[in-house]
Amino acid sequence: MNHKELIANMAAKMNAPKSVVADLLDITVSTCTELLVEEKTIGFQSFGNFEVRKKEERLSVHPSTQIRTLIPPKLVVNFKQSNILKEKLKDLPHHD
Amino acid sequence: MIKDKISSQEIIDLVSSKAVVSKRAAEEFLKVMISTIEDALIAGESVKIKNLGTFKLQWNEPRKSVNIQTGAEIILDGYYKVSFTPDVILKDLVNEPFAHLEPIVLEQENIEPIQEDTDVALDPLRIFTEQASEIKDLISEIQSLSPKSKSVVKPIAKPIVRTIVDEQKVEIKIEAERIEIKPEEVAKIEEIEELAAPVLEYIAEKKTESVIVHQEQMILRDKDGSYTASDEAAEFGSSPFLDDYKYKKKPKVWIWILLAIILLSGAGSGLCLLYPPAMDFTQSTLNNCITGMVKITGNISNSGMFKTVNGWFVSTPQKSEMTQSIVIPKDTTDDDSISSIKPIDSLQVMFDNPRVYTKFIASERIRGGSRLTLMSKRYYGSKDFWVYIYEANKVKILNPDNIAKGTLIRIPKLDPRLIDAANPRCVKKALELHDLYVK
Repeated sequence: MNHKELIANMAAKMNAPKSVVADLLDITVSTCTELLVEEKTIGFQSFGNFEVRKKEERLSVHPSTQIRTLIPPKLVVNFKQSNILKEKLKDLPHHD
Repeated sequence: MIKDKISSQEIIDLVSSKAVVSKRAAEEFLKVMISTIEDALIAGESVKIKNLGTFKLQWNEPRKSVNIQTGAEIILDGYYKVSFTPDVILKDLVNEPFAHLEPIVLEQENIEPIQEDTDVALDPLRIFTEQASEIKDLISEIQSLSPKSKSVVKPIAKPIVRTIVDEQKVEIKIEAERIEIKPEEVAKIEEIEELAAPVLEYIAEKKTESVIVHQEQMILRDKDGSYTASDEAAEFGSSPFLDDYKYKKKPKVWIWILLAIILLSGAGSGLCLLYPPAMDFTQSTLNNCITGMVKITGNISNSGMFKTVNGWFVSTPQKSEMTQSIVIPKDTTDDDSISSIKPIDSLQVMFDNPRVYTKFIASERIRGGSRLTLMSKRYYGSKDFWVYIYEANKVKILNPDNIAKGTLIRIPKLDPRLIDAANPRCVKKALELHDLYVK
């Protein structure tokens, strides 16, 4: 499901025009982004937590060329599902 | 790093103030958003939100774990996890504080070329020194050998021939006795071993004899002037020049013979003691085997002949019995596997039997970073079956985790049933082998 489909689905559920939903979604995303840039954790009840984690610098060795590279530290957005969501997903049958 | 947790309520407040909507509307919007995302995820779809990222479901396999208190093994159930991949825009924005940093290729890379350079630079020197040492060794060898070779080695070679020739001349011309003696002596020389001493004695005797004979001959010649001596002497006298030659030559010749015999006996005994036992042993065993085989085949052919002689009707059933007795094990196994659950048995048989690799699909040379697992993935579709490649190339591989570069690895052709990644038993077997080889 891509962005457009999501907006369409939400608009159908809310009985609201797509443009309004799209605006709201954009604003929500931008606020989330701003908060994440400030390295804050966002917790959505019953869904999960977005948090920024720092990946420490590390030394990587290319397995075939043996070139050693120093990978600088970086900040990464991490999402952890809430237990409520996990429980919901538990009921899903595993078909692989 | 300050980690303030912002609740959904705060998000609602922020959104409502920004979008100039009522908090209730914002709350409803957020709820709907989350519920739609959840629904889509439960339906097995991935959800992509522009500028934020993608939500996806990821199945985590069940795995073994150990209860820390009791040490008992527990199996953690598999579960679905919502994985979130941030959008590039979000990623970059978040990583802004470290954006200026770039991966640095460490000096290691700089060191390596230097090392290579030094290696290259050193190589000629190394070769030079090696050559120099070799030359030195050679010179020293030559120096140590040269006096000997002048005094001993070279003369030996020629005099041996000469002595033999001389002996032949002498002995042919002397008497039948001597001719008889000579082969014995030659045989003794050839035999060498510990008989060297008697031979030497023998030669000494011969020498004295010949000297005596010559002396006699000389006396006789002196006495009679002409060649009218006894029968013995007459024969000698038939070639006076040669006799003189012999007489002059003989002392030297005998010395050379002695030396040659000593050397030959030494070398021969050494050879006899060191090499032949093993060779003899192997040869004898081989011969035994061959003779045994020959006997067996002979027996078989004889029996077959007998049977054919006895008549076709008698012989053919017997033969078939024989073949049956040989084939019986295979047949029984096949029958069993067919009659009972076929795949399990045939697989078990395959697992239990030592695998013999005769056919090969391809061969690869190990480069830096080559892995058996990668080859296995490429040729068999799963990296678990690398063990079979290892088995097939066990001779060349000391450590499967670190194979020497340039090693030629042959990829064996395997029964497709053995490398069925969908069959958990195949995977289990491969893992068992893995444990066996890696430990």
